[in-house]
Amino acid sequence: MKKKLGIYICACGGNISDYVDIEKVKDAVKDEDCVILAKTTMFACGDSNQKDMDADIKANDLSGIVVASCSPKLHLTTFRAVSERAGLNKYNYVHANIREQASWAHSDNKTGATEKAILLVRAAIAKARLAESLEPIVIKSRRSVAVIGAGVAGLKAAISLSRMQDEVFLIERENRIGGNLANLDTISPENISGKELLIRLEEDLKKEKNITLLTNSEVVGNSGNIGDFTLTLKISGSEGSTTKDIKVGSVLVATGFNSYIPADGEFGFNQIANVITLPQFRDILRNADSKKFVFNGKVINSVAYIYCVGSRQVKGENKYCSRYCCTAAVQASLDLKKKYPDIQNYHFTKGVRTYGKQELIYKESNSAGDIYIQFLDKKPPIVTELDGAISIKAGDLLSEKKEIEALADLVVLVTGMVPDKDTSIGSLFKLPKGRDKFFNEIHMKLRPVETVIDGITIAGTCQGPKNVMESVNSALSAAAKSHSFVSKGELELEPIVAYADKSSCNWCNACSDACPFNAISKIEAEGKEVASINKSTCKGCGMCLPVCPTDSIELISFTNKEMESMIDVLAQ
Amino acid sequence: MSRINPKFGKELKKYGATEFNSCYNCGTCTAVCSLSTGDDSFPRSMVRLSETGNEEDISASLKPWLCYYCGECSSNCPQTANPGELMMSLRRWLTAKYDWTGLSGLMYKSLPATIVAMVLIFAGVIGYAASEGFDAEKVMHIGHYFEMFAIAGVFGVILLPNLFRMWYFVIFKPSRKKTAGKAESETEYSSRLTNLLGGIPLRVYLTSLSDFFLHMFTQKRALGCDDNQKRWFEHFILVIGYLTLLFTTVFLDWFSSENMFVIILGYLVSAIVFIVTFDFVTGRIKKNKEVSKHSRPSDWFFVIWLFLMGVTAFLVRLFIDFNIIESNFWLYLFHLTILAQWALIIVPFGKWTHFLYRSFAMYFDKLQKSAAK
Repeated sequence: MKKKLGIYICACGGNISDYVDIEKVKDAVKDEDCVILAKTTMFACGDSNQKDMDADIKANDLSGIVVASCSPKLHLTTFRAVSERAGLNKYNYVHANIREQASWAHSDNKTGATEKAILLVRAAIAKARLAESLEPIVIKSRRSVAVIGAGVAGLKAAISLSRMQDEVFLIERENRIGGNLANLDTISPENISGKELLIRLEEDLKKEKNITLLTNSEVVGNSGNIGDFTLTLKISGSEGSTTKDIKVGSVLVATGFNSYIPADGEFGFNQIANVITLPQFRDILRNADSKKFVFNGKVINSVAYIYCVGSRQVKGENKYCSRYCCTAAVQASLDLKKKYPDIQNYHFTKGVRTYGKQELIYKESNSAGDIYIQFLDKKPPIVTELDGAISIKAGDLLSEKKEIEALADLVVLVTGMVPDKDTSIGSLFKLPKGRDKFFNEIHMKLRPVETVIDGITIAGTCQGPKNVMESVNSALSAAAKSHSFVSKGELELEPIVAYADKSSCNWCNACSDACPFNAISKIEAEGKEVASINKSTCKGCGMCLPVCPTDSIELISFTNKEMESMIDVLAQ
Repeated sequence: MSRINPKFGKELKKYGATEFNSCYNCGTCTAVCSLSTGDDSFPRSMVRLSETGNEEDISASLKPWLCYYCGECSSNCPQTANPGELMMSLRRWLTAKYDWTGLSGLMYKSLPATIVAMVLIFAGVIGYAASEGFDAEKVMHIGHYFEMFAIAGVFGVILLPNLFRMWYFVIFKPSRKKTAGKAESETEYSSRLTNLLGGIPLRVYLTSLSDFFLHMFTQKRALGCDDNQKRWFEHFILVIGYLTLLFTTVFLDWFSSENMFVIILGYLVSAIVFIVTFDFVTGRIKKNKEVSKHSRPSDWFFVIWLFLMGVTAFLVRLFIDFNIIESNFWLYLFHLTILAQWALIIVPFGKWTHFLYRSFAMYFDKLQKSAAK
């Protein structure tokens, strides 16, 4: 049966129509084969146009739609939804991008932009002629979640999942839970210590009946896909290690961070006595004598803090801000002053980032007489020994960039966060990493806890530096997302996946090597070895298609026939 | 390079700047200040120097004197760090720094010390009058001479050397720093005299004098503060009134004069002094403006003693005209006490010097800017 197509060309309120003559585009395509309706519109995504499309589809019994507008990243789902509301299978909708690819890209050449837009719309029409109705893939999902890492994010996520009646396996590499939380002292602005927080979480954990806590356990194997993962655990005990398989519908990764360790000589670290890191300082302060602050046999009367060590590096690799350290350092200096009121603090910062309520402790510290020096990237602090004390020199942005010096008895390097040095979980699940080498979410705002691997969510500082509050927020968010994968017992997946033609395939391994998602495996069929693509794991990325020597793989909705028909139009 | 000196901030607190540490250097104060310019940007820069305790740069700075305290900076400060009061405190600190005797600093920091000095002078006046057997005519005669000698003595022994010190810190020392390590022939200065004058040619010293007198008598710069017309006018007639009263009593011998013009002039200017200062005192009591919210003992002494001077001078002459001064000799003794305390404490070591240093600051500022051209 011949398709009946409706074409909509959007002006985007001038974003498109200022450069692309949309009337000309409409005239150029309105007589194309199968096209029975072509319209221009001021805003295709606008409510009134959506209603018009709905009416057009019903009135003309359309079997396909093309909207030429912005990037599909913005409105593909909008127009798919319009199609569905009008009773048309959403995969019969084809998107043409004439804003980013024509009007914006060629604003200096209106004629050329218009010609390109016409071709893009024609190509979309060619695809729409061949588009087929598709149904989502439905798979079964186990109502259980593995939470990897029992730090504050993992604990909070596990408790949250358990309260939603999911079965939870809480897996911890160490012999105790709490991760880095146990090492934190006062946490701002709530003024609670990490230890107290951990005790509360432990109590909450005990109350939950759906959580199986597995300490001394490492995940060493992973197979399956969303809804049905099988994880192999290596559990170390007093009598050697044992392995155990668990089956879960989703995996929540919360493996946390390591503290940055400065290189030898970085701001005098390991070279000048009394240059230490913030975690070391916390340890020393916790155990220090209550009357005098003595370290290395020296009474400490003044302390200098150098911020952004291992973060926001101009020359090093870590360009990112570690978010928690400004607050942690200011809080530590306040705790120090509370214990020893006569100590003078000097803060060498790159601009203090005690954001939100944490601003209050910055003000408290400032008002108490702590001196803040905002050093310049060009003139970072230089730490040298001087007459039994330590001299810190830096260019101060706030003093007309002049060089300024402080003398201190102790220098604290405010170190930031780096990714966990144990990268086994990332490799095992093939989790993508960002430039900062932390695990990457799909979209930092729109899909902040999902990874491109279906069914695997990330929470806490394994994703990037966070303070405790932010870790907890992301943990609750990831728990809700993982819960949504397992709660219904079944899952609907996008049907745009690849499939291999068993008759022409002669297993050569090329597609399997190219697949970033481990979706292709070797099976026996028709008396030979052939490739089989797991529909639940395949993301429809198309990486396997060009490497196949026998051209045996097709991608649904992007078949060779469809692509060739588009290329034919564009190459005219 | 300068080394951070946190002790300076603690010292400055004793001069009244108690909140400046809260500053987070946003610069709102500088942005709202109507006197701050690109070249002379304040108060934030001064807050910063105070935080880091850069005594050398503060001593060399004229900025504290370029501020006329409208209080906009303090009203708008998001951290309530009170930059206006910091500038005021820096003026007090500078006054103490310029003062070779060290007494200014002592009096600013210690109210008891000021009170002791005041009491001592009171005792001196009463003691002297008693030694003369409370002879009205004689005491009043000597009182008149005392005024002359006090003015000349305080100016010559204290104020003049202090002005020289101010010049040294502001003009001379920084110029030496600039030329440090260079031979005299290598410096850019045209002559040896210029070199001695801190890099500023004598010609500039002379041509800038007009600015000095203009600012001394009019405080013209204060008009640059927003919404300051009334305060400037009050201040202006107070300065004129005060200087005229000084002239009338000391050189025209108002209390003994028979000249009708002198008598009326005396009444007029003494009335101006106490009426204007009465307004200042009530303002400080009501605290309805930013500028009058924070009063230190030195501020109270200054306005109250000026007020008392005007009132007592007015009454003394009135009593003379009604011929009842001899039977009410206590009034003259009261006036003389106020006068002596004023001339020997408040003028050399108190807030009065601000008047002098401000005028010279405008002069030195003009010198620096003219020389830079």
